[in-house]
Amino acid sequence: MSWLPRAKNEAAAHPATELDAVFGHRPDLYRDYRDFHALFWERPLVDPVLLELCRLRIAALVGCESELGIRYQGTLDAGLTESKIAALDHWHDDARFSERERAVLAFAELFVRDPHAITDGDARAVVHELGDAGTVAFVEALALFDGFARFRVMLGVERTTDAVRAAALPVVGDASSY
Amino acid sequence: MSRSPRIAPPPNAGNDPVSGSVLAHQPEALAAFTQLYGTLWSRGVLDHSTKELARLRNARVTDCGY
Repeated sequence: MSWLPRAKNEAAAHPATELDAVFGHRPDLYRDYRDFHALFWERPLVDPVLLELCRLRIAALVGCESELGIRYQGTLDAGLTESKIAALDHWHDDARFSERERAVLAFAELFVRDPHAITDGDARAVVHELGDAGTVAFVEALALFDGFARFRVMLGVERTTDAVRAAALPVVGDASSY
Repeated sequence: MSRSPRIAPPPNAGNDPVSGSVLAHQPEALAAFTQLYGTLWSRGVLDHSTKELARLRNARVTDCGY
């Protein structure tokens, strides 16, 4: 449970998730956040499986348990498996990860750890895979994943169950509520 | 760390520092981000000077010269 009191406004009176209860303190900001977040899952800006791999890798690096508990149905439908997700901690040495996935995961890790360490070669590898427009969307998504994973950690938005259930796109929230 | 742009803005993006930047490659995402950022800055409950201090401190910590 977050250390913040639950929001008392009407929109957050019956929160579906702990994120609802916390972000409900600023309903207009939460609405805009959800709209921005949903865009990356609703539109084919970037392959959702690539986004999901990076989202979960970033959540692991930041230590965000509530993000780690979320799954998006579209990525599971596209073939992403729990065994592959479990292998994310050692993707460097796992042959199941394609060159495309390696390019975006390497970039995502540096984005979180030290963005100045991203070389022109790292960037070129991503642009080669995603194109200019796709790379812009990808980096925006990384900023969203990194920033709001830290948001969840700082505000104590916890994973409320170990059960992992699939969410229909573009739902945003805790896996526990799906 | 490269000091030159890795991606050029699209042609005819304009000269605005935000809407004319590489973000113009994704107009829908730019619009959604602008909406979120606008709410954060213009319809918030936190005073502007506190937000600006946090923004600039964050920029220094991450060494973002932009």
